[in-house]
Amino acid sequence: MSILDIWLGILEGFRVTAGITIYGLLFAIPFGLVFGVAQYLATGFVRFVVTSVIEFWRSSAVIILLFVFYYALPVIGVTLSAMTVGAMVLGLNIGGYASQAVRAGLQALDRGQKEAGQALGLSRPTILLRIELPQALVAMSPTFINHIIQLVKATSLVSLITLTDMTFRAKEISQIAYEPVPIYLSLLMAYFVACYPIALFGRWVERRVNPVREARNGI
Amino acid sequence: MHDTAHDLAVQITALQKWYGAFHVLKDISLSVSRGARIVICGPSGSGKSTLIRCLNGLENYQQGTVILGGTRLGDNARDTSLARRQTGMVFQNFNLFPHLTVLSNCTLALRRVGGMARGEAESLALHHLERVRIPEQAYKYPAQLSGGQQQRVAIARALCMNPRLMLFDEPTSALDPEMIKEVLEVMTGLAHDGMTMICVTHEMGFAREVADEVVFMDQGSIVEQAAPATFFSTPNHPRARSFLNTLLH
Repeated sequence: MSILDIWLGILEGFRVTAGITIYGLLFAIPFGLVFGVAQYLATGFVRFVVTSVIEFWRSSAVIILLFVFYYALPVIGVTLSAMTVGAMVLGLNIGGYASQAVRAGLQALDRGQKEAGQALGLSRPTILLRIELPQALVAMSPTFINHIIQLVKATSLVSLITLTDMTFRAKEISQIAYEPVPIYLSLLMAYFVACYPIALFGRWVERRVNPVREARNGI
Repeated sequence: MHDTAHDLAVQITALQKWYGAFHVLKDISLSVSRGARIVICGPSGSGKSTLIRCLNGLENYQQGTVILGGTRLGDNARDTSLARRQTGMVFQNFNLFPHLTVLSNCTLALRRVGGMARGEAESLALHHLERVRIPEQAYKYPAQLSGGQQQRVAIARALCMNPRLMLFDEPTSALDPEMIKEVLEVMTGLAHDGMTMICVTHEMGFAREVADEVVFMDQGSIVEQAAPATFFSTPNHPRARSFLNTLLH
């Protein structure tokens, strides 16, 4: 089996890998934002509930969650497609991590930022949306890029719930051709090729969204 | 509108505040007339900043009353927002919004609280930036400005909301000596325009020149309250005397 055949074989799984990543982000981004902000603002019982939900998704083993949602839920009559289970479990797991980045970013802001907003008479939502979140998200952008890369790599687990992603294809090919070394090396490179542009994109975003730091460097 | 209560910008009566077991403000009473310039000084930890932060709801208090512009403030959201509409505050660390340009720092509240259109808000902001003499910095970010310029932007930002009372919380304490002057000049200009001001500051030259009254606080109490001439030449209380001595040496 030539290297080209191996690559073309793995490439057939790229659509699923990319699909799970993008579909997963649709879970991760809203979950991370909403729950991170909620944990920052909430007190008492509400905070306890928010924290519990985050901890469930953050502290559970992803692979077990995949099995539970894919194989166990149908027993009680809930059947989700493998794609949905994969995207939801991976997305909410990464979203749990991201929520902590959001909360940390908000908590790290100088207290004076909120107070200046309050002294000007701005409402709490306006302070959050116009003053706190823009600064926190910029500060957190390297961490978010980290999480997206982690999500791409974590998608390899969906091969265990029947999805034909790059990892699943590599396993198939190696069973047919029995050339595990070049095949898994190619798979390794395939994930790198998928992730590295995201890292580059992250650096570009950082430069774009940080006019203040750029301005300071410019002086 | 003719009784004397309405000539008072602020009336604080028997204000008490605790942080847990720590008694920060002990039975503070203070009246400030419209147009008055009050300087509050005292050693650090004496409760000066806490006192002025009680006036715009950045701190709550357990006992006593605050009457602002004729309205008694309760501990509720409506009264707090009323207090904040009437007061402008300048902080020791400027607290400009670093992700917004100077102009946007000034227009944010005009647009979000005042509901003003962008063009109108920007021309008003530019007017106040001219008043603090930095209209040319309008499109820069705070990090590109010197400390003195940043503090002047912070003053302009507060003025944009057309406050009836300006609160200054050690506005020059974070500044290098050469920048203190430019900020004090702006504040002096405001005083001459008739703005009611309460300034927590250690700038005794400013107090002497601008203040109607100097309030000296120590350990949560107002220890001495006098016209600057009296306060600086013949301070009554021994703690005021020793405070002035440490400032002069």
